This record gives sequence, C-alpha cells and structure tokens, in this order.
Amino acid sequence: MPKYTLVITEKPDAAARIAAALDVDGKPSRVLDHGVPFYEAKRDKELVIVPALGHLYTVAGEKNGRGEYPVFEYKWVPLYMAERGAKRTRVWLETITKLAKNADAFVDACDYDVEGSIIGYTILKYACGGKQTEAKRMKYSTLTREELEESYANVLPSLDFSLIEAGLARHEVDWLYGVNLSRALTQAAKKRSGRYTTLSTGRVQGPTLKFLAMRERSIRSFVPTPYWTVSAKIRLGDSLFEIPFERKVIETRDEANAIVEACKSRKGKVSAVEAKTFLVPPPPPFDLGSLQSEAYRLFRFTPMRTSSIAQRLYLDALISYPRTSSQKLPPTIGYKTILQQLAKTYEHGKSACELLAKPDLKPKEGKGFDPAHPAIYPTGNLPQRALDSAERNIWNLVVKRFMAAFADDAAQKAVKAIVDINGKRFLLEGKETLEEGWLRFYKPYARLMDAPMPRLVEGQEIDVKKVLVRDEFTKPPSRYNPSSLLKKMQKENLGTKATRAGIIQTLYDRKYIAEASITVTDLGFEVVNVLQKHCPTVLSSMLTAKLEEGMNEIQDNKATREKVLGEAIEILKPVTAKLKENEDVIGKQLSRALGKSRLEERTVGDCPSCKTGKLLIIRSKKTGKRFVGCTNYFQSTCKTAFPLPQQGVVKPLQTKCMSCGYPTVLVWHRGKRSWKLCLNPACPLKTRGKSN
Amino acid sequence: MTCKVCGREAEADGFCVFHERAYENIQRSFAAWKKGLNIPWKDYLREIKQNSLTGDWAKEVAEHLIRKEETEDDKTS
Repeated sequence: MPKYTLVITEKPDAAARIAAALDVDGKPSRVLDHGVPFYEAKRDKELVIVPALGHLYTVAGEKNGRGEYPVFEYKWVPLYMAERGAKRTRVWLETITKLAKNADAFVDACDYDVEGSIIGYTILKYACGGKQTEAKRMKYSTLTREELEESYANVLPSLDFSLIEAGLARHEVDWLYGVNLSRALTQAAKKRSGRYTTLSTGRVQGPTLKFLAMRERSIRSFVPTPYWTVSAKIRLGDSLFEIPFERKVIETRDEANAIVEACKSRKGKVSAVEAKTFLVPPPPPFDLGSLQSEAYRLFRFTPMRTSSIAQRLYLDALISYPRTSSQKLPPTIGYKTILQQLAKTYEHGKSACELLAKPDLKPKEGKGFDPAHPAIYPTGNLPQRALDSAERNIWNLVVKRFMAAFADDAAQKAVKAIVDINGKRFLLEGKETLEEGWLRFYKPYARLMDAPMPRLVEGQEIDVKKVLVRDEFTKPPSRYNPSSLLKKMQKENLGTKATRAGIIQTLYDRKYIAEASITVTDLGFEVVNVLQKHCPTVLSSMLTAKLEEGMNEIQDNKATREKVLGEAIEILKPVTAKLKENEDVIGKQLSRALGKSRLEERTVGDCPSCKTGKLLIIRSKKTGKRFVGCTNYFQSTCKTAFPLPQQGVVKPLQTKCMSCGYPTVLVWHRGKRSWKLCLNPACPLKTRGKSN
Repeated sequence: MTCKVCGREAEADGFCVFHERAYENIQRSFAAWKKGLNIPWKDYLREIKQNSLTGDWAKEVAEHLIRKEETEDDKTS
C-alpha cells in the first residue's frame, strides 16, 4: 500500500462522517481490524481515517500500589492499563499503531477543544511514535461536509501546544487531588470497618459537595417565622381581582387585623395609574450551560442527559459542537443557508421563511465567548434517521432558539395602579404583550406571562368585595437541582463545561446526594465534615480558582506546566500528611455514615405487622438465600418475613403498594425489563391476576 | 461530650455542629414569633415542632427543649 495521511478522530461516528466528507466520491471503504473500524478514502492523496474511543491514555501512578497514598509521581499510560473496564481500548491502540507505521503525514481531527486536543496529542505521541510535533490540526465546529472539506483544505500547520499543556496540567492536577484524597477517605473507612467502599472527592467534587452541604444545613436548621399578608378582592367589570396591600410583609397579626378593619365596607378609589412600555430582547443563543438549564426547565433532562443527547445530534451533523461557552453566532456559519434548509421542514418552515423575508439577518448575541467554537446552532442538515423524542426535543429547542435570535424584540406594556381604600394603599399590576416578536419563534418554550387588566383612570371608584388576611411563614432556602447546581458551579468557576455534569453524576453515584431536588445524605455530610475539619483547603473554591488561574497562565504561555503542578503538590503534601495522621478518627466518622447508608440501602419500609420494626433485605447465613425480615425479629417480638426472588438485583423502592399498602421493591435481571414487586403474597393485585 | 440530640461529638451548648446551628436559629427566631403572636417560649417550641417548614434538625432540637422544659416542670411541681 502506498504511503498515506493518517487522520485521527475522537469517536467512530465522527470518523465515518469525516471519511465520507473527505473522500472525493463520498464513498470511503470501511475496513475492520480486529473489530476496530477505519476508513480508506481518496482525495489529494490516500487518506486513512481512524477513530479513537475518546481518551485512550490516562494519568496513573508511577508505582503500581493500589490504594497507597500519598502519590506524587505519575505518568501517562494506555487506558487499558489503568482502568479495568477499558480492555477494549488495547486493540484500538494496536490498530492505530499499526496504521501509523505506513503513514507519512498525520492530521489530528479530534474535536477542537481541550479534551479533543489531549486525545489527539496522546495518540500521536504514544501510539504513533512521537508524531505530535509534525502533525497538522483540523479545526471545525460542525460535522457537515462543507465545513469538513474547508477544514481539511485549510488545515492548521501544528497542534495547539499551549492548549494541550494546559489540558495535560488539568488532568494531572485532578488526578493528584482525586487519587490522594479519595484514597485517604477510602483507606480510612476500610481500616476501621474492614469493608471496601469507594469514597471519592477531588479538586472540584469537594467544593461542589460543600455548597450542597451548606444549603442542606440551612434547610435542616431552618426555623420559620410568622408574618401576615393582606389583600383586597375587587370587582373590575365582570372580573374579580385579588390585589395585595402595598407592604408585602406585616409583622404582627394585630396590625394585619387593623388594616382589614379599616377597609371594612369601604369603597376603593384609583389614586394613581402608571403604564410603561418596554422591549424584551430574545434570549442569547445557547452555550452548553444554558442549553442544559433550559432542557432541565422544559423537559426535566439532567445536564448529563442533555449533554449526551447534544453530542449525538452533533455526531449526526444536526447541530454544531455543543461543548462551547460561546453565545455568539458569527456570519461565517451561513445564516441564510441554514434558514433555507430549515424552511424545507414542516415544523420550522413557516418561521424560517418569515426570517428569510427580513432584509437583514443579524442575530442578537450574548456575552459568552469561546475562541474555539461559536454558540450551538442547527447546521441546517435535516435528520436522516428517526430521532427519538428526547433527541427531537433538543433539536427543536436548538432550532427555535437559533431562529429566535434573528427575530425582533418583543414589546410589553406593564400597568401599575394604586387603589386607595380608606387611606390604605393596594397595588394592582397587569402586563400584556403588544408585539410578540421573538416569542412567536420560540413557542412553546417562551415564558413571558401576560396578566391583562381592564383600563383604569385616576379617581375611578372601585367596588371592594372583601379584604383578607393570610397567615404566612418564611420559607427555607430552596434546594439545588441538577440545573441550578450546574449554574452555581459555572458561577464559582468550578470544573469545565465538559466536566460539570459528570461531577454532579459522581456525587449521585457515590450516594453523597440523592433525588432530583438535591438532598445531601449523611454520608455526604460526613465527607464534608471530615475534609472541613482536617483539610479545609481542599473544600475551598478559592483553591480551585487559583489552580484554574494557573492553568489559564499555561495556556497564555505565562507559566509552565511544571510550575503549576509543583505548586499543586506543595499544597497537597501537608493535606495528605494530616489525613494520614488522623486516619483513625476519620475512619470512625466515615464508617458510621457508611453503615447507616448501607442500612438505608437495605431498608424496604416499615413492618406492616408489628408497626414498630423496619423491614430489611437479609441474606441467610445458613442457606445463603435472601429474604425480607423485620428488625424486631432479633428482639423476638416479630417474625414477619417475605420471600424475595433469588436471581437479579433487588432494590427497595421506598413506595407502598397502591392496592394493599405493603412496601415494594424493584427487581431486575440483566437485559430484561425491571418490575415492581409488592412484598405481600396475598396482595389483591396478585390474586386478581391469578383468578383471571 | 456528646450532642444532647444525636450522640455525635458536641461542640458548644452541648450540641453537635448540626444541631448547634439549629439551636441558634430557634433562639434567634423567637423574637419574631413573640412580636407577631405574643406567645411564650413553650408554645413557640410546640408551634415550630409542628410546622412543616421547620428543618429536621431544628425539629429535633425543639423536641429536646420541650422534653427538657417538661422535666424541669416536673421537678418544680
């Protein structure tokens, strides 16, 4: 085979798209080498396009001591050597190494961001025999044919080494913090309890958990205070309106009652009317964070889910690169062409045609800027396969947000009137939309609320039906949800757009937090307490911000990777020493929380027979079989027990059966649909099934 | 010294870090309840214990304080 250019992509889907775009006939041949696909294409010369599987290399300790800490010596190794579940990547690397031997030129075509650059760099350096210095770089934001061709034609002469150095430093710093702190917690708990449970924390995970714990503490320690509100029910035309007293909070019941008394059987009079018209600009185009927030608001998708759907749509060339911080849409993306394509669809055709009829297409942009990519926008390509409902929701959302950016501002009128009832002032507020503008393009996702009210004039007499007092209490602070937590992380500069959603998921996986409206578990509290007591530095968002600054300096060539890493290690050394010194105390604290957490995992619910015991999933020491038994069995006061399926996974649902009120569990077998099991063998739902 | 409510290590006032803050909040909020409803300390504790907006730790501390008050009342009578 003649010499060829080896093009390395980040994922197999991207390789297929790039190969199809770069082949002169659009029909590259797909070859499988031990299950690893690569593509042979013809252009100016022979091309071989081979995909990675995301990261194929990772940071690992220099020595192979699992669980030992502190560790400050590390190296980059193939992923399969460091992670148990990554065996598949071995053949992948072997194929790339084999293909590299016959290549005379190299192109890194991984996603143009920090992670993509590291994926390409490590493969070129370690699997291709040090070709990182001679490799060229493709830069693109969509996987459309036109952009890929242009990117290949104008390939960058070299890799972005300052970006890579900063990225490598980030991975190394995160590894140093993650490994040392997580091992310290895990080992302390294991030494005390004798059982292994992975406990993790890290440079970003720790401060994020601390925010959550602080909020949880405020909620759990909250004491409400009473206050009162007064409102009047008035008649305007045929409608009744309830209007609040001018002071929103009245501190004593006596004062509230006095206001009501003063207004009793009195007529009201409009003492002032103020109308104001104002413009509401469209929301800026999506960056990843705002897409994740909006998808959570509208569809309740977690940030992680939105991120992976957006990635799929990107790989299908339906939207641009989603991991962006930009809220800008440069003209080079070709507004008109995109809208012309969207005009062909039934769903967006009318809106797209309306925008195309405008004399000038100029998007309203946000402040967010990303040097590598524009905001997320639809490429104009139409789906070539049936999108599932979640994918369609995200695609429609991106399309509508994109179109809204080109539409006019909405115009609204706000009216505020003061109704005087015997010297007590009440406020009547209304709002109506005069011009829909962008709202029409962003339907049904726009949320400007109208509250129309009839025309009022000063001096107009008002019929007062009733004046009411309401007992109220101050509310505790609201809980974070995955979307608001993501925003908080963004505000505090914790993590990157690519890592935040994953970190939130890790907190759930470790059982530090639970539920969609986030609650911190006892285990989560204990981890924060331990770190706060023995090494508060690692929970400080200041430290993370300092390290982020260091990494930015590497990217701007103002600092070296060695310097930033040296500083990180100097911070970490006393921390690990302190953790080691207090291993016993820490282990005691964590073991207690772990024990409680394990018990909660096995608790099915309250015992329906004795009413005082708890039902637990127990494994019999004698038979090895599992069943559900009451905790009062050990006091010989209750012998309630229920059988459980012996195959598959059983998980308490913490819900009661709709029919008989007994606790329920979820049972699932690998590859099969899970099912809900009521523990009551005589449950009417089961007997009904049998009689039928 | 252990926390009067949960048995953890106590910090100040005989409460752990969690219940200490709840105790402070209970003390601080009494002024607003007294001003608004003119109720005595004991009634206040019962009110907040029953209120669905009161946090779990604050409820536990309120319950502890109610029990303590009752024990003291028994002693004096």
